[in-house]
Amino acid sequence: MSDLKLRVKQMIIERLKLEGMAPDQIDDLAPLFGDGLGLDSIDALELVLGIEQVFGVKIEDEAAGLKAFKSVQSLTDFIAEHAKS
Amino acid sequence: MTDITAHLPHRYPFLLVDRVLEREPGLRVVAEKLVTIGEPYLQGHFEGRPLVPGVLLLEMLAQAGGFLEADSLHDAAIFLAGVQDARFKAPALPGDRLRLEVAAVGAFAGLMKVKGVVTCEGRELCTATLLVKRL
Repeated sequence: MSDLKLRVKQMIIERLKLEGMAPDQIDDLAPLFGDGLGLDSIDALELVLGIEQVFGVKIEDEAAGLKAFKSVQSLTDFIAEHAKS
Repeated sequence: MTDITAHLPHRYPFLLVDRVLEREPGLRVVAEKLVTIGEPYLQGHFEGRPLVPGVLLLEMLAQAGGFLEADSLHDAAIFLAGVQDARFKAPALPGDRLRLEVAAVGAFAGLMKVKGVVTCEGRELCTATLLVKRL
């Protein structure tokens, strides 16, 4: 697991209080919302705030969110692409 | 700002903001609620020992938060979607001048997160994070 992907998973677990869940229990490609982790719109806001705080990356609107929140893999890619180096 | 009813659709006995002292739409609001022994909910909460129900302190913060919106809420469909980390540290009593401070934390997809604190003469009575949804 890449270092960034692991940090993304740790942020998700911490921010959404998924107590008892380990990073390797989150499937890289499973959808975050709906069937996969089953997150809702309040979780989406928490993730937006967490991503900004931890990685300094802003998710500006729903269109960007739709793309970023497909899976852990797509979220990791989105952060890598937009993070200030 | 004193024209509270022009902005909020709430009415007696459920209008729980008397005055807005400071207001930066989208950022922060400071408002006031003056508690009197005449409040209807104090008649039974509790007999002989009136104190403002904690949930109404949360409602006061939510109503104060309505002033974060630039426009009047009369035609807006805005609802409370969540309450996180609510703490009640001391009771609010008849005669108290409550200071309601609300600050925006962030927003995404029609959902806004705000932090609120109710104080009285510098003492913290209640702190909470509220989630508000615009439909």
